Amino acid sequence: MPLAAPIRDEFVALLGERDVLSDPVRTRTYECDGLTGSRVVPELVLLPRTADDVAGCVRVCARHRIPFVARGAGTGLSGGALPVADGVVIGLNRLNRVLEVDPENRRAVLEPGVTNLEITAAAAPHGLYYAPDPSSQQVCTIGGNVAENSGGAHCLKYGFTTNHVLSLEVVLPDGSVVTLGSDSAEQSGPDLRGVFLGSEGTLGIVTKITVRLLRTPEVMRTLLADFPSVAAGGQVVSDIVAAGIVPAAVEMMDALAIEAAEGATGAGYSLDTPAALVVELDGTVEECEEQFAQVKEICDRHGCTRLHVAGSPEERANIWRGRKAAFAAVGRISPDYIVQDGVVPRTRLSEVLERIEAMGTEAGLRVANVFHAGDGNLHPLVLFSAADGETERAERLSAGIAELCVEMGGSLSGEHGIGTDKACSMPAMFGVDDLAVMDRVRAGFDPDHICNPGKLLPTPRLCGEKPGRYRPHPLEEAGLIERL
Amino acid sequence: MTRAAPTTLRPTTPAEVRDAVLDVPGRLAISGAGTARHWAGRPDAVDATLDLSALSGVITHNPGDMTVSVHAGTPLADLQAELAGHGQRLALDAARAGRGATVGGLVATADAGPSALIYGGMRDLVIGTTSVLADGTMVRSGGHVIKNVAGYDMAKLLHGSYGTFGPLVEVVLRLHPVAKATACVAVDGPVDDAAERVLALMASPLEPIAVEWLSGDPGRLLVRLEGGTSTLPARVRRLVELLGDGAREVGPDAWDEHAALTTGEPGRAAGVGGAAGAAGRDAVVRIGCAPRSLAPLLGRLPATAVTAGLATGVATVTVHDASVTDVHDAVAAAGGTSVLRDRPADLDAPAWGAAPSALPLLTAIKNQLDPEARFAPGRFAPWM
Amino acid sequence: MTSTPETDGTPTGAAETKIPQQAPSAFDAVHPPQRELLDDCVHCGFCLPTCPTYVLWGEEMDSPRGRILLMDLAEKGDISLDGPFTEHMDNCLGCMACVTACPSGVQYDKLLESVRPQIERNVERSRTDQLFRDAIFALFPYKRRLRAAALPGALYQKLRAVPAIRRLADRLPGRLAAMESLLPPVTVREAFATLPVHTPAVGPRRARVALLSGCVQDVFFHRVNEATVRVLSAEGCDVLVPRDQQCCGALEVHAGREESALDRARRTIARFETLDVDAVVTNVAGCGSSMKDYGHLLADDPAWAERARAFSARCRDVHEVLADLYARPESEDGGPRAPRTPVSGRVAYHDACHLGHAQGVRNQPREVLRTIPELELVDIAEASLCCGSAGIYNMIMPDAAAELGERKAGKIRDARPDVVVTANPGCLLQIAKYLPGGGATADGTTTGGSTGRAPAVDAGWGDVPLLHPVQLLDASIRGAEVPHR
Repeated sequence: MPLAAPIRDEFVALLGERDVLSDPVRTRTYECDGLTGSRVVPELVLLPRTADDVAGCVRVCARHRIPFVARGAGTGLSGGALPVADGVVIGLNRLNRVLEVDPENRRAVLEPGVTNLEITAAAAPHGLYYAPDPSSQQVCTIGGNVAENSGGAHCLKYGFTTNHVLSLEVVLPDGSVVTLGSDSAEQSGPDLRGVFLGSEGTLGIVTKITVRLLRTPEVMRTLLADFPSVAAGGQVVSDIVAAGIVPAAVEMMDALAIEAAEGATGAGYSLDTPAALVVELDGTVEECEEQFAQVKEICDRHGCTRLHVAGSPEERANIWRGRKAAFAAVGRISPDYIVQDGVVPRTRLSEVLERIEAMGTEAGLRVANVFHAGDGNLHPLVLFSAADGETERAERLSAGIAELCVEMGGSLSGEHGIGTDKACSMPAMFGVDDLAVMDRVRAGFDPDHICNPGKLLPTPRLCGEKPGRYRPHPLEEAGLIERL
Repeated sequence: MTRAAPTTLRPTTPAEVRDAVLDVPGRLAISGAGTARHWAGRPDAVDATLDLSALSGVITHNPGDMTVSVHAGTPLADLQAELAGHGQRLALDAARAGRGATVGGLVATADAGPSALIYGGMRDLVIGTTSVLADGTMVRSGGHVIKNVAGYDMAKLLHGSYGTFGPLVEVVLRLHPVAKATACVAVDGPVDDAAERVLALMASPLEPIAVEWLSGDPGRLLVRLEGGTSTLPARVRRLVELLGDGAREVGPDAWDEHAALTTGEPGRAAGVGGAAGAAGRDAVVRIGCAPRSLAPLLGRLPATAVTAGLATGVATVTVHDASVTDVHDAVAAAGGTSVLRDRPADLDAPAWGAAPSALPLLTAIKNQLDPEARFAPGRFAPWM
Repeated sequence: MTSTPETDGTPTGAAETKIPQQAPSAFDAVHPPQRELLDDCVHCGFCLPTCPTYVLWGEEMDSPRGRILLMDLAEKGDISLDGPFTEHMDNCLGCMACVTACPSGVQYDKLLESVRPQIERNVERSRTDQLFRDAIFALFPYKRRLRAAALPGALYQKLRAVPAIRRLADRLPGRLAAMESLLPPVTVREAFATLPVHTPAVGPRRARVALLSGCVQDVFFHRVNEATVRVLSAEGCDVLVPRDQQCCGALEVHAGREESALDRARRTIARFETLDVDAVVTNVAGCGSSMKDYGHLLADDPAWAERARAFSARCRDVHEVLADLYARPESEDGGPRAPRTPVSGRVAYHDACHLGHAQGVRNQPREVLRTIPELELVDIAEASLCCGSAGIYNMIMPDAAAELGERKAGKIRDARPDVVVTANPGCLLQIAKYLPGGGATADGTTTGGSTGRAPAVDAGWGDVPLLHPVQLLDASIRGAEVPHR
């Protein structure tokens, strides 16, 4: 049911004609985020410029029970910003001011549309930086990072977005504005800020974020090491951890991923190695140098075939450029691909990689691997060609890999979120009761279910559509929900 | 209406906890080691107390993955002893762990110690939880891997909940390696002086693990470093140099006094102005604000003893019980948060400062998860 | 009523990245955007922060990713070319910053190049728009008309014989005046000056090159051409400047006026291909990018494909030629040859989009500038963002161009340069228009040498020399005062 014209007029009265998009060609460009497999054209796209206008938009939605979906840069890989038919998209990318950098308290206050990299750019003159660094950091916004609890290569040592956000100004689904969190780690009562972080836009819209900034480490040492097998690289990671070293980052790429990344960036990765490991240490000169020597020794012990130490900030940047472009660069070696984001306990890395390889062979599809080896967060990229009718096979393989991670005691998602993409796999990880309780928490925030509905938790229509999978829906079986 | 004396139930398994919640009608208090019995709002009368101290022990420890799952009633000190054998630890140094505080209790009270500066609090260390709701639902969230964004993070909701949503029964924790070497540097001086030194310290690359000022005459700043056995001495020298006049390395027992002050142990503390603490009528308030606002705020509080994380903005202050409301007001005026901890059992002072803007939201979630308000009544008085 | 939370459309969670064909393509059969090129886009969004219109407006349909989606939809027959589609393609500056940023290697340049002629052929423009565009293209590619325009007096009086200009003057005199106001002041002597046909190398010859003198460049920036010839010669190049060369067609290529552009391309190829030279050199970023693209543009013209490919392979930006000479080993007579006098001061190099993004020529101009003693090269923040000139963009989209011009000027001022250099006449005009707006510099200090000293700028930003890099090099080689323009 399309929105009635008077409702559109309410938004126009609030934002002005230019900032309310309703032309179907224009709204089409908002039909998906970084997950292109799911597309829904929203009824309207609202592009407010201030937090007050965001709250105003939400109040109109609440009054008319119009579902709304917040969107930042639209780079999410789980369909978290997928619009809702008959609903509105509220774009936050125009709220893009760095409101304050406070070097003495080591924090910054940001609007949600500020990109992750801009935070560090604003902090850098003070010798500070913002630690979470998702690969899309040059484009993804802090609002989206809050929604997804984004990680990045350096979260092994430094943690995720949730560990770096002090407080949030949030527009709740009823249009009221609240502050979650405080100026210090000491909070008043339950950590609602922590609940909101990573809630994938289902609990409200963040309009202001206060983040912690860290002092730029005294030294950073980065090495790129080639290994004769992914397993050898994995053993290096285990030994580093066993030595009591907490590296800033440990990233692994296999031959296919290297081929793509090197093709995109020419960053200097070896094209003939089965596996490459990027290890970065940071800290004080004393600690870093000692541990770096240990790491090099561990690499040698496991048959490292080439060890390249970044000799300058430019070389370090190059290594990271290659790594961070890896996902998008896979577009160079395959017409289509699906990125997975499962996590396994690190000690089961080798085992799971063998299983993935076997599953890929069985499905007749190539799987490229890029992963955060330090924390067991895998990013298997299932390569396929839609034109050759491989889509369904690829989807099956991809979902199978995600569920394999759960089976191994891990998680469906380490950083990309559940969104629409993996909502139907949630019952593989959580029981009916767990999901029902999450839904109750959601109802505490959003009793009318208008805030990014259909994401994160499985719903019967979402998951019933797939023949043979998750039908009948467990929540339905439990009598907790009914088919609409 | 008269009531019988409340029953105390001591379940030993998660299933027994659930059964207890289902079998005992009415309102329930939750207790662990009892180390934070008097913290936050004074409990209202209940029909039964769930004592989780028997729900104890490690469930699984995966040294290679640096994760451990434990029953909620496990004393942290016991856990640390077990982990130490593997060169690992839970990176939490809350003072009351020494008195037997349990893992579940530390989560529920959002307690943390000086090393929260680097490692964060329980909210940053818990990666999975299982808890029991008022209707007997056993709910699990998170998992056994450090990196995980699947589903809402119920651990955060339980962190600082004081049991209001129900008892935790199982907690999964991420671990850190035990530091190969630890050192502590002290420099004496009043809080304002310490705050300026801390500003310089935090702008330096020395990466302190903990930075705390202790009240006394004239007060003392303690800075903890961790590192390798061969590399730490050089950093200690840099730190001593940076902190300037009077800075010197001290032994680890310097932190004992910190722990004593933080727990408000009467008689141990000399006041900020040198006055002795009013033993017996002391109240301990935990406060937090922006780090650079802390020293000026402390100057405005009638505190008899203080430990202050000058880099975190979190402090624990001991005041005469009549001053609790003044503390809440002063902290609120500085944009901070405050909660009453230990105090005389008969003290009738508000446990919490000004209500947060999210109070209606908190109430709505409480109504969703515990609609009959069975759990921990009174803990959030006067808010809800 | 609560709306249903579930979604329609393609099944959620599907990996299918392609939209099904809805109807016949909205494009005609002449070079529609290629399906494989459209499919290269994985919608990752890495292009967004580099796109000038996205930076200005924050709207998805005015981003590269959004435009590619619109092209995809049009190709799938889902939307038509008129209306919003054309509007958002017109909004694109064609700066190609997204091509640089794209990790998937999407060739947005090729896509846009095939879409613009489709719009020109298949979409009827508003009368105003059409009149204006016709007038622009009746003026700019013609050196003779540009020279006439440079003469004192009203543009209309001088060019009334040109039908497109007469029509615009009759119906929309205001737009004509706006166009005229963008033409830079130039002396009559300079406008009518010509370059020598042959200038021999100073010293042993290291290369033999032919220079495209350009149309706008030769009339309004003749001094840049003169400096280019002098510098190339001083660095050991024989320089040929064919007398009867014409416009290379760049402006028309970038605006989608394909037929006429291809004619100009053929004529340019024919004029230069018989010359016995190592390279065809240009000092205009826009001309270079289109000449290097002739091979692609004429790929399916059997009579011209091979000739175009060979021509494009020989095209070089002047900085490439110089940087190559400097990079040669000493045993092969490499390195800078002409003695330099110092030019002390802060020099900000602005990357022209058609040089940096379209041709990937970023280091060479900097290497060339670094051969000047005492020169301090400084970076401009947001270097990859377009200044808003973009061919004819600042004439047809004046508001967006103005916003970008102001933004760029602000970043240039932040760099506190004593001299600003850039290798494209459009950029020079655009920056000249917006840079003075900032008033006097806070810190206009310069230091150093007597000759070649960059002038102090405490009089205001309007006095900051704004040059093509070869002008600065020319001044250094000749030991002359750094010119103002």
